[in-house]
Amino acid sequence: MHTFPLTVSTPDGHAFQGDAIQLDLRGIEGDLAVLAGHTPFITPVQPGKFHLFLPDDTMKTGRLSGGLLTVNTDAVTLLTDTVEWE
Amino acid sequence: MKNLRSRIRSANSTLQLTKAMGLVASSKIRRALTAMTNGREYAAAFEEAIRLLTASPDCARSPYMMPRETDRTRLIVIAGDRGMAGGYNANLFRLAATFPDAQKLPIGKRACDRFGGELISSEHFSAADASEWAKKLCEDFVKGEYDRLGILHTRYVSMMTQEPVVSWILPLTAEKSSGSTAVLFEPGEREVLDTAVPSYVTGQIMAAVRESFACEVAARRTAMDAAGKNAQQMIDELQLAYNRARQGAITQEITEIVAGGNA
Repeated sequence: MHTFPLTVSTPDGHAFQGDAIQLDLRGIEGDLAVLAGHTPFITPVQPGKFHLFLPDDTMKTGRLSGGLLTVNTDAVTLLTDTVEWE
Repeated sequence: MKNLRSRIRSANSTLQLTKAMGLVASSKIRRALTAMTNGREYAAAFEEAIRLLTASPDCARSPYMMPRETDRTRLIVIAGDRGMAGGYNANLFRLAATFPDAQKLPIGKRACDRFGGELISSEHFSAADASEWAKKLCEDFVKGEYDRLGILHTRYVSMMTQEPVVSWILPLTAEKSSGSTAVLFEPGEREVLDTAVPSYVTGQIMAAVRESFACEVAARRTAMDAAGKNAQQMIDELQLAYNRARQGAITQEITEIVAGGNA
């Protein structure tokens, strides 16, 4: 499985930092999924649920209050004001 | 002698007070510094994205980037919750006084006392609070209710040095385009910028609040160290004077007794 380094950053510190297989969330233009090797882009994120698929076959679900998703060739960063894990 | 004794006692209780406050401050420093680093990282990540955006010509027409003709300023003033931190609050208010026309939005009990408004703690200011502030501020800015947004806070240079500064947040200023922006903006630069600005402002407010708190704690520890040293020195001097006075009294008594025996 291909993974990519993901950082979920809030003003209070990193809510998540590590490798992930897939990130599902709701962008401003609709639902989207990020996999390893996604083309670089930046998009605003809508408030709501997001899912994180980890290399150990677990899924993390959280809620975020909107923010900005930055996909680079080597890393993915999700900037948001607050995150709550379920 | 009685006078000296009571002065020693009062200096002693001051010493204990400064020691306790110094200890509380030291225990808070580590946490405050971590929070400051986190806040800075988040703000820096957002700044990076905003810099890419403002470089694009498409964004020049965004309401956040339009230069304004008037100069109505709003200033977020971040001070401490308590005094006893050396010149921390005083330095900040001195700088605040150089913007007499600005509408001031205080954070921190000392600033709230000074500029009015409900009491907001700078220690417990949360990201959710900052997010609300940012939304309101951005709405008002777009509506044209004010023209310039700044944050007056204290910058952490080192444990011993902190300086008050003003960071201007809005309007955004365009960076020189670096030429190749290989990044794609979904849906478009302008839309991304307009939705990202409130979060950007949130990040800036949070970073400033956390940094100011770290400064407050560091300033308090330094101030309490100095006050503790002064108190200890004062106690030593008073103790010396007291011992001399006591010895003097004893010597005089002995002299009187001896004189009485000789007579």
